Amino acid sequence: MTRRFRSTPYLFLAPALALLGVFVVYPIIAVVYYSFTDYDIVRPPVWVGLDNFQKLFADDTFWLALTHSFVYLLVTPILIVLSILLAIVVNRQLRGIHVYRALYFVPAVSGSIAIGLSWRWLFDRSGFVNSVLQSWGIIHDPIQWLATPSLVLPLAMLLTIWAGFGYYSVIFLAGLQNIPEELYDAARIDGCNDFQKHRYVSLPGLRPQIVFVAVISSLAALKVFDEIYVLTNRSGGILDSGVTMVFYLWREAFRLSHAGYASAIAIVLLVVTLAFSIVNVRLLERGQEREA
Amino acid sequence: MTARVVVAPAAHVRARRRNRLLQNGVWYIVMTALAVITVFPFAWMLLTSIKGPADPITSVPPQFLPNDPTLANYLKVWDALPIPSFFFNSLVVAGAVGLLNVLIASLAAYPLAKMRFLGREAIFYALLATLIVPAQLTYIPSFVLSVNVFHYYDTLAALIFPNLVSAFNIFLLRQAFRGVPNDLIDAARVDGAGEWRIWWQILLPIVRPSLAAVAIFTFVTSWNDFLWPSLMLHTPGGMTLPVGLAALQGFFSSDFRSIAAGVTMTVIPILLFFIAVQRYFVKGLAGAVKG
Repeated sequence: MTRRFRSTPYLFLAPALALLGVFVVYPIIAVVYYSFTDYDIVRPPVWVGLDNFQKLFADDTFWLALTHSFVYLLVTPILIVLSILLAIVVNRQLRGIHVYRALYFVPAVSGSIAIGLSWRWLFDRSGFVNSVLQSWGIIHDPIQWLATPSLVLPLAMLLTIWAGFGYYSVIFLAGLQNIPEELYDAARIDGCNDFQKHRYVSLPGLRPQIVFVAVISSLAALKVFDEIYVLTNRSGGILDSGVTMVFYLWREAFRLSHAGYASAIAIVLLVVTLAFSIVNVRLLERGQEREA
Repeated sequence: MTARVVVAPAAHVRARRRNRLLQNGVWYIVMTALAVITVFPFAWMLLTSIKGPADPITSVPPQFLPNDPTLANYLKVWDALPIPSFFFNSLVVAGAVGLLNVLIASLAAYPLAKMRFLGREAIFYALLATLIVPAQLTYIPSFVLSVNVFHYYDTLAALIFPNLVSAFNIFLLRQAFRGVPNDLIDAARVDGAGEWRIWWQILLPIVRPSLAAVAIFTFVTSWNDFLWPSLMLHTPGGMTLPVGLAALQGFFSSDFRSIAAGVTMTVIPILLFFIAVQRYFVKGLAGAVKG
């Protein structure tokens, strides 16, 4: 009986595996090859050995981009804390609560280009933020938010946090609603106040969600692009103050036609992401051991 | 005596109720403040977009409501850029990607959830590995493929084919299929049903909510996708919304009334769609973690 169906599982899997082969596996192999070549996408690649990597490690902009990408990872803990707090706030039966939950979700579904443009307008030299600060007398002259090198990256991170915390809180809300009510009752009987209740019941109960959001949001932070692209109007910011790994990859490959060099950046991105994922998995395993 | 027994709890209850009302009031204030934070940038766009030439948009202090409301900015954007084409193209791409993802992921998820065969573990872990690889890494070779091999550069097909399968969706549906009792499948086998019929007539109907979640989730992701579409699409009439919006920025540079009109026009439909399907979206997002 089972023998007769032997080819069936592979037939079911065939379309997915074929597509992944063409659009994920082949490109990874190709990008490794390109990284050892001088390539501009138009003319055939020419083998140059380790030249691209030597150039890369001596390239200040590359180190800047790498640093910026690591700094960007700071959004992950902030997102986790804020979205758990938001989930706790909206986890109650109040009239109209669904409307509020939908409103928190608005930035996440609007698309990064639309929200980026709306932020550009808010933080324009003559935009809303400056206008309010000036009318309250907090500042005298308008601040050049997006033309000040030290502000570009923090603003992009703030944008990511603003757009993401409502989205991730949906995950935490589902997690909170899965925690048995009896645990909270027991905590109350043991004399826990509201804060302790969340510290000793909600947080441990949300562990799988915390790991999930940590992984998803940190991978997203490592490959941030859209926010930088819109906020800096494709420039990467004055003095490359907003250039991240993926932005640098994009600029080298598709603006400057340095596809071979950009492939070397891609390899570094791959190594960083893999290392990061391994750390994540380790943390996850250690957490499970502790629970067992 | 009896009166006191009745009155005392009543006062107590009243005090507790007042306390709860007060507490709810505080929560409403907190939630409204948060909602203002998430919605304000869009509200400001909307207000900017309906301001006429006589209304200042950069005054100190800011002017909220227009004295001279107008739709002229919308007409200007509508005339300058093929907005209906942007919508149509986005709809075609996101629709095709959403539906075909459901089909291909549900096919792949069945054997991974319910069959024993050689290489199952290996395939499973290979799929897991593809989740870690950032898509941006593949863009240079994918770009070369689009020009030299598939010849779909600057067409919508270039946005559809590379995005037809996501390991994430396969995992989500595998998880859903695992929840289907084996007895059901065995009973169907005894009745002579083949694997394809079991998949189509038993498994798919049972996990319909998960299928909807995958379709909607993929739809919204594809609808908002920017980097890859911006590499592929260069003819205005063939652009999707995010690419068109980015072009808007170049087109109107510092004419913020028009940019605001363009953004408002494109954000409202996706918001309406989201409100309509919110339930599935939330379920999909929440269900993703249990796996």
